[in-house]
Amino acid sequence: MATTVYLSNPALTINAVNLTDQATSAVLSYVYEQLETTAFGDTARKFGGSAVTSLQNNTFEVTLYQSYAASETEATIYGLVGIQTTITVSPTAAGLVTPSATEPKYTLTGCYLESHTPINASLGELSTITLTFAGGALTKAVA
Amino acid sequence: MAKYIVTSDRFANCKRGDILDGDDLDAAGVNVDVLIDSGHISTYAPKKPAKTKDTETDKD
Repeated sequence: MATTVYLSNPALTINAVNLTDQATSAVLSYVYEQLETTAFGDTARKFGGSAVTSLQNNTFEVTLYQSYAASETEATIYGLVGIQTTITVSPTAAGLVTPSATEPKYTLTGCYLESHTPINASLGELSTITLTFAGGALTKAVA
Repeated sequence: MAKYIVTSDRFANCKRGDILDGDDLDAAGVNVDVLIDSGHISTYAPKKPAKTKDTETDKD
């Protein structure tokens, strides 16, 4: 059986700004809320169905090295708190530019950044920030 | 129609100096004001070329 092993090295943009070289972790969760459609006569619980479309409830969590230099992490992120923006992420850098079936590009449009920690400092450690973008509609591009 | 010039090396799929259309940015769902404040783009307002006088043909 053929298998592939994927060494995680994704690329991402936040508000169209490429912060790949500041990122150390990225988790995109694609969620449709689970709506129960069980009715009398059923013998087991059911969820969803052909006539039931629930809401997406997606999240994107990313960890970035903090940087206060011009056009870097802090400058890019600070203004995004409390508003909607768009995230793109792909398993590879090439996938962001020319997505394909093996290098898909995921776009989370209209996601919301609730909070940000401008200062997250510990003695002797590189400062990092973890951001959670919530909501938005997810699309997957393969061409 | 507003136009913007890329002023950082981090703007996705663009290089510094590229001109972007505001409608395209809106359609992409990005926040233009934040991009301006964070120094990635700035408003593009090309200046009209200065009028030049042809001093050769004006000679008697």
